[in-house]
Amino acid sequence: MNYTDILTSKFEPETTGTTIMAVIYDGGLIIGADSRTSSGQFVADRCADKIDYVHDRIFCLRSGSAADTQAIAKYVRYYIDAHAQELGRLPAVATAANLFRNFLYEYKDSLSAAIIVAGWDPYKGPQIFTLPLGGSVIEQKWSIGGSGSTFIWGFCDSNYKENMTLQEARAFVLHAVAHAMYRDGSSGGIIRLLNVTKDKIEREFIDYKDVPVK
Amino acid sequence: MIFNSEISGQQQHTTSPVVTGGSVIALVYNGGVIVGSDTLCSYGSMAAFKNVQKIVQISQNTIYASSGEYSDFQQVVKELAKIDRSALQYDDGVHPSPKDYGNFLARLSYKKRCKINPLYLQNVIAGFHNKERYLALVDIYGTYLESNFITTGFASYFCKAIISNYWNENCTLEQAKQVIRECFKVLFCRDCRAHDVIQLAYVDEQGTHIEEPERVETKWDFNGFKSRANEKLHTQ
Repeated sequence: MNYTDILTSKFEPETTGTTIMAVIYDGGLIIGADSRTSSGQFVADRCADKIDYVHDRIFCLRSGSAADTQAIAKYVRYYIDAHAQELGRLPAVATAANLFRNFLYEYKDSLSAAIIVAGWDPYKGPQIFTLPLGGSVIEQKWSIGGSGSTFIWGFCDSNYKENMTLQEARAFVLHAVAHAMYRDGSSGGIIRLLNVTKDKIEREFIDYKDVPVK
Repeated sequence: MIFNSEISGQQQHTTSPVVTGGSVIALVYNGGVIVGSDTLCSYGSMAAFKNVQKIVQISQNTIYASSGEYSDFQQVVKELAKIDRSALQYDDGVHPSPKDYGNFLARLSYKKRCKINPLYLQNVIAGFHNKERYLALVDIYGTYLESNFITTGFASYFCKAIISNYWNENCTLEQAKQVIRECFKVLFCRDCRAHDVIQLAYVDEQGTHIEEPERVETKWDFNGFKSRANEKLHTQ
């Protein structure tokens, strides 16, 4: 176990030791994340927003070093913006995923970043791409990430169903993230949910007292 | 710190902690001493054991709590109980005072520190004896400090300011409890290894009282928290 004695060590770099999740349902996708950013044992930000805007219907969930992932997301946001202007229509989620992938792959020795790219496009509908540490790209129907995800693999494997309704998917994400926050010291605080569909984006703030598992 | 187990040939028990308990906060008040801690033991970064009692009665007028390696905490409880039992064998009606326990623990901790095999703990002993309040900290090296208020672990960084501003040594029990609750609220918000269910225990003239665990209320629904979401970047 990696225990850092706070009395003798300097603070560790800020990471989103975290729980992030995205699930495709029938008609869109639900994204969920906790709100804790930690620096070693210290909670640097207790209400962070880990759901980053990339484009109108493309979002990324960040885990690993906060600095690395923020910097990469900023670049990709810029590239996608320019690309969308030239294209004149909504960019493909796969394009954004590929731009992230280029960073994570080329600089794999210097970066500590794992990202979930989730969004909707008019060509293939809702999609989720998982980009783990090395820079590989894996398309999935549902994805969990961050340190808290280790605690909910069993829960997710047994509770995931194809073609869920919006309510089922929302409850699935809410309970999974809550269970991860319950056990992971690096996850906590409030839960932020985002519903992405063809027509709209809906954000939801789940206050600590409404988190189902405490 | 991580101690090198190759230095001495004998078995090392505490080279680095595995199951750890969180901060302990103790205050003196007008009628006795109160100690508070949360009910969580962490396994590294995992919140593994959520309903753990980390404050223990040692004798009629002494309580003990500590933060750090939980197995060492359990071992210390056994060692302190041995003192009580061997004192009974003299059959002279003399019971160890809280300070006797504190002193013994300091000597024990120092001896183990000299052998590079420490009890990986910051210990708090609290008691009430001969109408006097007793509160002491014994740390991992065997340093012994008597004081009116004690904080261990992360609480030393966050809670001393709260205690300085809202507590004095002659406050009431209720006031002291409120100060400790406020401290644990801050810890729950800012310490990754903290839990919002805490337990309070106090010693006064009547003896020791260990209360049932309670949950502290923290506030998360600030407007600034809700609206800081990256919605401002959305264009539609």
